Amino acid sequence: MVKNSKGIEVAQILQDKCIACQICIGECPVGAIELSPEGVAHVDAEVCIGCGKCQESCPVEAVQFERARKKELSREERGMPPVGIPGYDGVAVFIEVQDGKGVQVSWELMGKARELADKLSTRVMGFLLGEEGIGRIAQDAFAYGCDEVHLSEHPVLEGYRSAPYGHALTHLCETVKPEILLMGATYLGRDLAGIVATHLKTGLTADCTGLSIEDKTRLLLMTRPTFGGNIMATIYCEHRRPQMSTVRPMVMRLPERVPGREGRVVLHEWSPPPMDLPEIVELVGDALEGGPDIVQSAALVVAGRGACDPQAFHLLQELADVVGGTLACSRPVVEAGLMPYERQVGQTGKTVAPKLYIAVGVSGAIQHLVAIQGAEKIVAINPDPNAPIFKVANVGIVGDYARVIPEFINQLKHRMGA
Amino acid sequence: MHIICCIKQVPDTAEVRIDPDTNTLVRAGVESISNPYDIVALEEAVSLKDRYGGVVTALCMGPPQAEVSLREALSLGADRVILLSDRAFAGADTLATSYTLSKAMEKLSREDPIDLVFCGKQAIDGDTAQTGPGIATRLGYTQFTYVLSVDWVDLQKRQIQVTRKSQGGREVIRGSLPALLTAELELAVPRRASLPLLISSLQAQVEVWDARSLEASLNELGIKGSPTWVRAITSPPARQGGPAFDVSREGDVGAVSKALDTLMDEKGFLSKLLRKWED
Ligand SMILES: Cc1cc2nc3c(=O)[nH]c(=O)nc-3n(C[C@H](O)[C@H](O)[C@H](O)COP(=O)(O)OP(=O)(O)OC[C@H]3O[C@@H](n4cnc5c(N)ncnc54)[C@H](O)[C@@H]3O)c2cc1C
Repeated sequence: MVKNSKGIEVAQILQDKCIACQICIGECPVGAIELSPEGVAHVDAEVCIGCGKCQESCPVEAVQFERARKKELSREERGMPPVGIPGYDGVAVFIEVQDGKGVQVSWELMGKARELADKLSTRVMGFLLGEEGIGRIAQDAFAYGCDEVHLSEHPVLEGYRSAPYGHALTHLCETVKPEILLMGATYLGRDLAGIVATHLKTGLTADCTGLSIEDKTRLLLMTRPTFGGNIMATIYCEHRRPQMSTVRPMVMRLPERVPGREGRVVLHEWSPPPMDLPEIVELVGDALEGGPDIVQSAALVVAGRGACDPQAFHLLQELADVVGGTLACSRPVVEAGLMPYERQVGQTGKTVAPKLYIAVGVSGAIQHLVAIQGAEKIVAINPDPNAPIFKVANVGIVGDYARVIPEFINQLKHRMGA
Repeated sequence: MHIICCIKQVPDTAEVRIDPDTNTLVRAGVESISNPYDIVALEEAVSLKDRYGGVVTALCMGPPQAEVSLREALSLGADRVILLSDRAFAGADTLATSYTLSKAMEKLSREDPIDLVFCGKQAIDGDTAQTGPGIATRLGYTQFTYVLSVDWVDLQKRQIQVTRKSQGGREVIRGSLPALLTAELELAVPRRASLPLLISSLQAQVEVWDARSLEASLNELGIKGSPTWVRAITSPPARQGGPAFDVSREGDVGAVSKALDTLMDEKGFLSKLLRKWED
């Protein structure tokens, strides 16, 4: 037991558990804790009064006291009902629209919302914004499991701009009061979610890979990669509503589409407050620069640094053609200027979930692996038998791509009967 | 023109991981760096200053040792740097962070009205991309995220035009000042510090502002002002790998053939492949 000169037992920080979240620093009533240059909490023993606030607030049990501390009883232990905030109910999904259609990630989230809502015994709602007539998309929302579509239509909402969308979606949340709001972590979704969460002064967790309801508390548990994908953090938001979360495309499974499934449309009057609206001068489509969308491809052939030369790309493209797939790459290939950013798979690129993923000269760094969790079959080709990619690959070939791939194409064509 | 640039000090995240055997954090050799996207943003801020005149103020919220990032900002051309540091700021999530930063900007704007604010598109430790929109919303500034280039600024008409990434590709968009921009890596190529600036940056005094000097409401700061909490941390889920066939042992033909056998083992895989995955 470590005591200070006043004889008080002081908090001990377990260095290898501390995640430097700094929560204890904010909680310490006497300011005894600070972040050390090594990035862990450090307790000034002479200032510490041994109150234990740091221990209670630590999310990872990195604070230790030897003598037993009186533990704060949970709500359950005190016989109180689970938390929830009166007046807020239902799981909402923001339906993102592109080219007059709902984007797929919105429907993927509709499936997740259904699961969460069933657990909470509540309803699934779609929040839809756009110009006059956009309400027709509600039919698709119902087909994917939505019960109610809440809609605001206004000419200003034709085409996305941050401020009016931020205002209109905030208005829908204030009127309808959902318990949970899910949005796609797309360019649009990430631009919009931060605005709405700030207006509503609520918590927002970005890029979640797991969403579930905690039985005891009915809280939404949001799991996301952090520290560059090396660590998963589970986040919750207890006191504010809605609990907001964004999820990348292809992380949740697309639910079955049931055409003709019915639901209710509720129109909400909305008009923009006086504001200086930005003007979109020009739009340039992705197709012109990035080629086919790697997120939508059923098969990907992925070039890493080990296959990072334009000569190799001919071979890889040939393989991609044989398997009916698209060429993608790891970050070093983009950095070398050999492929556009749109083709990058990974934490700072795109998350993909193809049926077949062939990694060629990719070592399998964690920042790359986090984005291929959903791939059905992973094939790795790499001469280094210790490359981490082999730990996750369904099948590996240890060898030089320049020799392996021509043989692979040969045999594959043969088996395909060509 | 008064330009603000927000800079975050982050751990070099490639190095932080969990030891799977002990389920503890391994941070040996982890260094702190300035968030790379913020350094790109700073470069653009400084080159706009060179083009249109004005002052670049760099802001960083963090513990005292984060001043290293601000010295780096000085060496790269920032005119003034301010460290927002107070125990009350600790444990902030993005809502509380955008509050603290926006309070500092309100204060700066009273001295010299702000025209532009730059943030990186995201920080590499958290990757949330929420702080920028949070600040823009609090201050009522025009928001442009994922900016690829600043085409022009018209200080007379108080307008700015940028090219940014959007869902469909790219858009060229113009709006009013003051505006907040978040930087993509393509926005600029950071310069290297010149020797004289490097030396003077090491000698400079770094201004430190605390909660009191921001006239901030204590309930909105740090852990108290943060609606989200961490419940647990874990290792990323592991995927079960399969066999690997070595060409040096099996030969090219043998290794490929065994690999394809394994792949085709699943019923229907070949037929899905033949149908080019339609369905
Ligand atoms: C914050 C952060 C975000 C990041 N985001 C991403 C991201 O989004 N996407 C991403 O990919 N990376 C990302 N990275 C980078 C990541 O850490 C790795 O550096 C990167 O993924 C490595 O790419 P690689 O596997 O192609 O190259 P390397 O790690 O250099 O691996 C090359 C591999 O090629 C093999 N090889 C060599 N010769 C041959 C040959 N003849 N035939 C076959 N194989 C050969 C080698 O054995 C080696 O395994 C990020 C890093 C950080 C810190």
